[in-house]
Amino acid sequence: MRRPRLTTSISQVLLWLFTLAALVPVYVMVSASLRTQSDFLNHPFGLPLAPSLTSFRTALNDQFPRWLFNSLVLSGGSVLVTLAFASLAAWGFARHRFRGRETLLNVIVALMVVPPVVLVVPLFLLGVQLDLINTFRLVIVIYVGLMLPFSIYMLTAYFRTVPSALLDAAIVDGATEVQVFRRIVLPLSKAPLLTLLVVNLLWVWNELLIALVFLQSDDSRTLMAGLTAFQNRYNLDIPVVMAGLTLATLPIFILYLFGQRYFMRGLVAGAIKGE
Amino acid sequence: MRNNRRRRLLAVGGALAIAATAAACGSSGSGTGTPTTAAATGASTASAAPVKLTMWWWGDQEAAGLKAYVAESVKLYETAHPNITIDTVLQSTDNLVPAFQAAAQAKQGPDIQYFWGGIYTLEPYWAGSITPISDLVGAAEADHYVNRSEVTAEGKVVTAGWYIQPSFPLLVRTDVLARAGIAAAPTSWDELISDCKTLRGKGITPIAGGIKDGWFGGWLYSILGSQSASAADVKSAVIGDAKFTDPGQAAWWAKLKESVDAKCWNDDIGSVDLYQGQQQWSDGKAAMTVTAGTDVRKFLTQVGADKVVVSPLPPFGTGPGANKLGSTSQTLGVTSFSQHKTEAAAFITFLHTQERLQAFYKATGAFPADDRFDTSAIVEPQLKALHDLATSGAPYLENFIPSELDAKAVFVGSQGIFAGTTTPEKAAADMQATIERLRTTNPDLVSNFKKWAAQ
Amino acid sequence: MAVLLLVFGYGTYRLVTEATERKGRGVGLQNVRIVLDDPLFRSAIGHNLRLLLALPILTALALLVAILLNEALRGWRVHRFAVFLPYVLPIPVVGVIFSQVLTLHGVLNQGLDAIGLGGLSEDWLGQPRWALSAVGAVIVWKELGFGVVLFLSRLLSLPADVFEAARVDGAGFWRLHTKITLPLLRPIIAFYLVIEGITLVSWVFNYVFTLTRGGPADATQVAETYIYSTATTYNAPSLAASAACVLMVGVFAMMVAFTIARARLAEDDR
Repeated sequence: MRRPRLTTSISQVLLWLFTLAALVPVYVMVSASLRTQSDFLNHPFGLPLAPSLTSFRTALNDQFPRWLFNSLVLSGGSVLVTLAFASLAAWGFARHRFRGRETLLNVIVALMVVPPVVLVVPLFLLGVQLDLINTFRLVIVIYVGLMLPFSIYMLTAYFRTVPSALLDAAIVDGATEVQVFRRIVLPLSKAPLLTLLVVNLLWVWNELLIALVFLQSDDSRTLMAGLTAFQNRYNLDIPVVMAGLTLATLPIFILYLFGQRYFMRGLVAGAIKGE
Repeated sequence: MRNNRRRRLLAVGGALAIAATAAACGSSGSGTGTPTTAAATGASTASAAPVKLTMWWWGDQEAAGLKAYVAESVKLYETAHPNITIDTVLQSTDNLVPAFQAAAQAKQGPDIQYFWGGIYTLEPYWAGSITPISDLVGAAEADHYVNRSEVTAEGKVVTAGWYIQPSFPLLVRTDVLARAGIAAAPTSWDELISDCKTLRGKGITPIAGGIKDGWFGGWLYSILGSQSASAADVKSAVIGDAKFTDPGQAAWWAKLKESVDAKCWNDDIGSVDLYQGQQQWSDGKAAMTVTAGTDVRKFLTQVGADKVVVSPLPPFGTGPGANKLGSTSQTLGVTSFSQHKTEAAAFITFLHTQERLQAFYKATGAFPADDRFDTSAIVEPQLKALHDLATSGAPYLENFIPSELDAKAVFVGSQGIFAGTTTPEKAAADMQATIERLRTTNPDLVSNFKKWAAQ
Repeated sequence: MAVLLLVFGYGTYRLVTEATERKGRGVGLQNVRIVLDDPLFRSAIGHNLRLLLALPILTALALLVAILLNEALRGWRVHRFAVFLPYVLPIPVVGVIFSQVLTLHGVLNQGLDAIGLGGLSEDWLGQPRWALSAVGAVIVWKELGFGVVLFLSRLLSLPADVFEAARVDGAGFWRLHTKITLPLLRPIIAFYLVIEGITLVSWVFNYVFTLTRGGPADATQVAETYIYSTATTYNAPSLAASAACVLMVGVFAMMVAFTIARARLAEDDR
């Protein structure tokens, strides 16, 4: 080993500190959810030695299942629509020359920085006009609109790397453009599509502002909006709040556990293209 | 090449920014919809047609047992009227007002809405979102609602009082006082302050509260402010005939500061919500707390009725609220965008039948806001006293200032006083500046308040 | 065919953006004046700018962790998994956890007490002096993982011999990384700065809403919460819209300024 011991051990200690700092709040959440209020207040870091699922039961008996379902529908719906639109749009950008192509693409890129809160007022008024408040339709359209810029941008960059010789050859063989797209391009793009799937799912799942404003009725509330109400309702019973949080985190955590690669790759890919 | 593209991006970004700004900045004006004039007439449908009523309300955060009562009432009503179903939706404290604002703009949402009294009812009424209940149930019925004057506008009772909120009693635990060698609950402000010091000396929190979410600031304004200012004083300060910096209007800030300096409050008051603060009282860690009058029975059962003294805040002033409780009623109203106004009003009337009024008290320990309620049902001495205090109560001050002023000046100012980042003088001056600003951003407010003050 | 669908897809998208930027006529700039005159709006913007101070801290920490991970011989995957985890958690969840953790008698202060640092306890979210910094710290906690993963992946893609050569020349940790690593990572650091800069100016609503709702004493009001409460609680959508376009101009101006700065830098390099 060429490096001095000291540096190595210092860096190990530092790394463990960061890791601990990242994990402790999560640990507090999970362990509190399994214990009683007084146990938690007396020993916030204690282990759940006698784990109890009472808090989870309370949380589940509230409106959690409904909220969970709503979030699933919204995330699934809007992300799939986004991917479909984004891949078609990106295909157009990557393969077809038309006037103002670069300008249009740049406009789309610029839209990535628009703060969603800016859109809330005008879109709400529009929703009122069209009688679409409290409907998933409108919110899905908004989510799709907010996710499209990044998605189109990333896919365009990827499609441009597909060698055009390959595509031209297929067309010479008599394949139509649609066939080329479906049989060659899409299968080749599995990785970036999965990445977008994961990144966008994460975003929609965690979105609060739009859900809060546009989905006010009990039937349409999402998990994140529900959580803020839930916290308010049970603020005397920390374990129940924590159980709710744990439940809300679980789906995303499972996704992370199995799709870690795509999470990281997706973010990095987006970044490197953005340089 | 790359450089080129960058420049183009820049140019486009700039152009877009300008275009977007031009477009977005034009947006203005048209915010408030025209108030729909009460169109209750269309709703008199044949009783057999199925009707779905939606009721948005606040849950039982200030009256334990209310949820069960509502569920029971809905069930009874649905059984008696098979064509009607009632959906109840809970709103959280922070969301109650925004959610209704959004619903009112969208003109869809609840048929029956829960409102806090006074200004919290009148603001949405002025915005055209409520059909006056007296138009729907008749003036004779509406005359029974307790505290109807605070929700009366242009001779109409806007919403139906649901239950009385005696606002807000001080709960004193004599057992905790005894631990510090204090024999009796304080009866004057100076006693209160000296008790605070004694209790602190023993390591006991004198009064427990929570101001993180701000609402407690409004309570403090009401129980302290009303000792030297009346509802009429406050209204005239809103209109501009008086100032919030006038001695009577501003005195309460200094008193609040005095109590903070005497370490009367729990040290974590800034980082907990009110209900979390009250928990310290229930746990015996604090000697006193301030609570919603509707919730007193819950606290009595929690710690044992014999250990608790219920009283108004020990007085320092001679104003209308000194040594008195405020009295307000939380209300239910029928929305102007409801398709089933008659049915909605009929359900509210059902809640005011004798049997339901008595059941309300039984379930919650809070007093229904109806003079037909048979008060002989109240047996606990503290609750009897509370009822007397409430019926002889003073107007509840927070209900007579614009809600925006409440949140922007009262909540914020009291958080600042507790944190030591503002002074009483500055808080009063900020409140005055905020109302002056509000008069320009919301000109309707002044004319509405003038009408209200004149009646 | 594809083009047709493209037009349709883009059309839908366009609809969204169109709808958002329209809605106009009326008193025009008067509303903007009212908003700009509002001390609360000014302090909200001030808080946004103060939150930007978290940006260098965030970037420096992310770089440090990435470099450490790059040099660590074992276990770096475990650390990477852990450090990235907060980035995946829903912000409302993070907000609620920390609003428990950071109370005066909360988990953090009890932890400090336990290791003998009780003197450092503060009422993190209840004291106006600390609340904004506390919100900033929570954002750093959550956003750190993104930077780490970003920088690490770039570091891993660099040829190892660059570092080896420098080390053979006797460069220490500090010199090695300031002279070699930083310049190599510059583009990606710049990217990260932009992304997180945008986050700190126009995407902090979720944090503030779940941690403090803008309190105590307005110490954590930011542009977004101002717009949100103006539009909903105070029922003044037109004022909210004016505030929103001020914010948008600000964000675009920042972006343009940054693009210019970067273009300048790029030219200097040549």
